[in-house]
Amino acid sequence: MNDESEGSVFFRLLKQGYQKVFFENWPIWLGGLLIGIMSVITFAWARPWGVAGGLRNWGDWFFSLIGVYQHPPISPLVSTNSILTLGLIWGAFGSALMAKQFAIRMAPPLELIKGVVGGTLMGIGAAMAGGCNVGGFYSALSALSLGGAAMMAGLFVGAYLGLRYIYWELEHLPTGSSGGGRSAKSEGAFNWLNIEPYIGAAVFLFAIICASLYARQSLTKIGGLLLCGIAFGVIIQRCRFCFVRGFRDPFMTGEGEVPRGIAISLMISILGFAALKWTGLRGEQVYVTQTFWFGSLAGGIVFGFGMLLAGGCGSGSVWRAGEGQVKLIIAVVCFCLSTSLFKTLINASEGFKALIGKAVFMPYYLTYKWTLVILFLILCAYYLLATWNEETDKFTVEM
Amino acid sequence: MAEEIKPDETLDCRGLSCPMPLLKTKKAVGKMKSGQILEILGTDPGTKNDLPGFANKAGHTYLGEKDDEGFTRFYLKIK
Repeated sequence: MNDESEGSVFFRLLKQGYQKVFFENWPIWLGGLLIGIMSVITFAWARPWGVAGGLRNWGDWFFSLIGVYQHPPISPLVSTNSILTLGLIWGAFGSALMAKQFAIRMAPPLELIKGVVGGTLMGIGAAMAGGCNVGGFYSALSALSLGGAAMMAGLFVGAYLGLRYIYWELEHLPTGSSGGGRSAKSEGAFNWLNIEPYIGAAVFLFAIICASLYARQSLTKIGGLLLCGIAFGVIIQRCRFCFVRGFRDPFMTGEGEVPRGIAISLMISILGFAALKWTGLRGEQVYVTQTFWFGSLAGGIVFGFGMLLAGGCGSGSVWRAGEGQVKLIIAVVCFCLSTSLFKTLINASEGFKALIGKAVFMPYYLTYKWTLVILFLILCAYYLLATWNEETDKFTVEM
Repeated sequence: MAEEIKPDETLDCRGLSCPMPLLKTKKAVGKMKSGQILEILGTDPGTKNDLPGFANKAGHTYLGEKDDEGFTRFYLKIK
């Protein structure tokens, strides 16, 4: 009798824990904190976190498969870029299932067109900036590359322009509605939602099996990166952490929650990267892309505009695709194709490559100490301005 | 809590994803009178966070939500 009640207490706690983790959304600041920690762990394990590189690998792979490119890329199964992005989708998909939030969500036609255009623009912007909001901005700034700061500026401009377009669209074009999602009740007695958590658990179990299969093939690093990617997917899906909001919200609603989350996250990530690079544990040039200033700034603007249309950034589109949103699945496919083609175009021309820019590793010019001071001042300003704007609505653009 | 609410206006945002439901809500709210109730139909899981946040900041009252067949109904009382 006693044993039984102890057992039931244990199950009750387990159930409460499950509901806390998967039914209640996590606060944004927690997401920022966890992404920052995961970013450092991922770099310490193998390499910085990135999303667009994986999408490009898939695009390259597709184009070589249909004969457009002559040389195939590194296999998506062993490319670290591809594995990180695969992990992100995988984690978001599993997490959405656990939360009973996975559903194929059809969008009205205009939204699907915005997915195509937004995804294509993001692919072009990411090719210019050496990565999306993650590789070109988040990880680049963490890696103490000045290109990351240039892309940050570009993303603000692009997000502002994108928001102006969306306001215009709201006044002039009919957005319509798709008239409802999946109707759970009309499918008879069987309700898919109830078994989603079991499928989710199987999805995570399968990931662990895959990671250990990689380890057996002496590809432990790749298997570990798959798990890192999955951790990003779960964190980001549970918090609905969206970098678009970091650049759009100050202009749209004036909310400062996400800018604060990004600022906290970057502070942790920058400290971790600086420690790994300063001590010589990791190469100083890692993720310092040759994109300063034109590629990062102009790429940031194009990417920023595209992410507003798509309603998701690089990481944001990928996790929403994992949640079953058709518009974002289309955006991700277009991203893969356009970023692959545009990168090939840049690489084909020496002049274009030179225009995109050069690598600027900030500590070479400022020393590590002053680089950290300056980056922290920029992030504090971002944090404080977003909070100030929350009270005053000074940057908020009215419809 | 959202069982017996009679809305004055209904806004159909089904199939739309972030940020469209929020912006359409903002636009619809601008055309309504104080004390009226707006019903929003949505399918994006993000709306469950975004609407209370928006209501809180703009001073409207978020009355709650109700799951329907494959979508959710949200209720907002205008300031």
